[in-house]
Amino acid sequence: MAMAMAMASRALLLLKGATPTNHRRLLFTRDIAAFSSSIPPLHARLDRAIVRSCSTSNSPSSLEPPDLPRLAATARISLTPQEIEEFTPKIRQVVDWFGQLQDVELQSVEPALRADTDGDQLREDVPETFDNREALISSVPSYEEPFIKVPKVLNKESE
Amino acid sequence: MALLLCRGIRMYPPLLNYAAFLRRKSHVFYCAMSTTEAQTATQGSQSTPIKISPHRKEKGLDDVLKDYEAIIGIETHVQLSTLTKAFCSCPYHYGSQPNTNICPVCMGLPGALPVLNSKVIECAVKLGLALNCKLNIKSKFDRKQYFYPDLPKGYQISQFDVPVAYGGHIDLDLPVEFGGGHRRFGITRVHMEEDAGKLLHSGNGRVPLLEIVSEPDMRNGIEAAEYAAELQRLVRYLGVGNGNMQEGSLRCDVNISVRPIGQVKFGTKVEIKNLNSFSSVNRAIDFEIVRQALLLSEGQDDQIVQETRLWEEGSQKTVTMRKKEGLSDYRYFPEPDLPGVILTKDYVDSICNCLPELPEVKRRRYEKMGLSMQDILFLANDVNVAEFFDATIAKGADVKLAANWIMGDIAAYMKNEKLSIDDIKLTPQELAELIASIKGGTISGKIGKEILFELMAKGGTVKGMIEEKDLVQANR
Repeated sequence: MAMAMAMASRALLLLKGATPTNHRRLLFTRDIAAFSSSIPPLHARLDRAIVRSCSTSNSPSSLEPPDLPRLAATARISLTPQEIEEFTPKIRQVVDWFGQLQDVELQSVEPALRADTDGDQLREDVPETFDNREALISSVPSYEEPFIKVPKVLNKESE
Repeated sequence: MALLLCRGIRMYPPLLNYAAFLRRKSHVFYCAMSTTEAQTATQGSQSTPIKISPHRKEKGLDDVLKDYEAIIGIETHVQLSTLTKAFCSCPYHYGSQPNTNICPVCMGLPGALPVLNSKVIECAVKLGLALNCKLNIKSKFDRKQYFYPDLPKGYQISQFDVPVAYGGHIDLDLPVEFGGGHRRFGITRVHMEEDAGKLLHSGNGRVPLLEIVSEPDMRNGIEAAEYAAELQRLVRYLGVGNGNMQEGSLRCDVNISVRPIGQVKFGTKVEIKNLNSFSSVNRAIDFEIVRQALLLSEGQDDQIVQETRLWEEGSQKTVTMRKKEGLSDYRYFPEPDLPGVILTKDYVDSICNCLPELPEVKRRRYEKMGLSMQDILFLANDVNVAEFFDATIAKGADVKLAANWIMGDIAAYMKNEKLSIDDIKLTPQELAELIASIKGGTISGKIGKEILFELMAKGGTVKGMIEEKDLVQANR
């Protein structure tokens, strides 16, 4: 269930338009577009997911429909009432898709930890200085040497 | 460390407040428990025999406290002394300027991918084995999601339901000053994670950590403090970290609840943070036991809420930090950017074979040699001191005499000059020679002390000094 909720919150992020209102935006400027080219095409993935769920029969889900306002609050994404209304069925579909997965009979199958089969991808404990620290720092909107200033992050969870 | 702990307690000003009462009381808590070799204080066990007087005539503190028992568990974070961070090749040094050692990965920039530092797994397996844990041959990383100013990704890479190690235990001996006794505490799990935060205090965001969660087996401040001290000893013996609480490379969070003896249900659990030394672990727990026991005895158990409290070193008490509104929803899910961690039998065996002699094994070996517990705890505390001692007796020196010299004059010199045993110029060979010379009557004990001082400060050999200063005793 936690997995479904996490997926749902990521889906929400994408529906909202990939400009999160959290502080991650601070670091996202043209100067570091070089890195963004390696972002996997999440939009494409979501479309495919939605298409898939539409093409199969929507059996009633065994999973609870997510509480969208609460989900948005935990993901620190603000939603207008129209957006809540518009997104709820879409998020519901994503969760239902997991519900379909959960319905599959798997008693005789050994649970897998992860989907990949690649061996270890480790690196040696050898220091390497990143050679373009200036670009990282210069793309920070609010830098007061040596600190990066971030907007106030209200932490409702106890950490 | 055990001695430091003791010193910390003795220096504590004897003010008329609860904690002062409790220092005595924790001694009594301890003595009430059985001290059999293989004792394991488990959750449900009635390990503390109930005291005789059923009715309290006066609500003296002692009377209140003896009806309650504390259930204590500790979560410890150990910073690993690797050369690079957990998931990127940025170098990390303690105390460097903020935001100096950064790259897209540790800054959490979009598209940057983490790659695990192989040394981290090595350290995790070493510590897991040293804590007698079972290892998960296949484990994985998960995202722990929450928001915090120096957590740019919005999540911390950790291990949630499949940690690298689980189900172990740690053995230790309580200091002689506190009644001594052997203890075994359970270890629930050990897992790998990156340090969230710390960017503000140094350039060291995302350094690798091992989190060790104990079973709630401790019953008082002394046991908890010794547990932490033993973890520090282990970490240093293994060379996986420097385990320094003051520097933050060893951090302990204590979870404590108090319940009437005989009650099966646990009391409300309170978390205590901001503990910067073993003695503050001890004092904070003692304070908290009194606070909770008093509230319970006055029928005010609703005043004890599940919360995080901070230990205030200045006022020597715990204070509310904030109340936990239920459990945090971290929305864990497997980290998609990292492959699983797979341990082969060969890998684990190779690490197992390279483990040094661990403190517990060393203590038992020293016990067999006939040393007193006081000596054992001192010698086994620092792995370098133990090595020096072992090397000295390997050269044939008398065990007790070697122990005495190391614990006495040599330790005093090291303390005065602020040196470690590896820094002094005296070699184990020469210490053995010195002991033999005194034992054989060549020189007197008094002369021996003088020579020792020179050897520590300047080096050289015993024979050389005896000749140089013409110190041979006549006819003895």
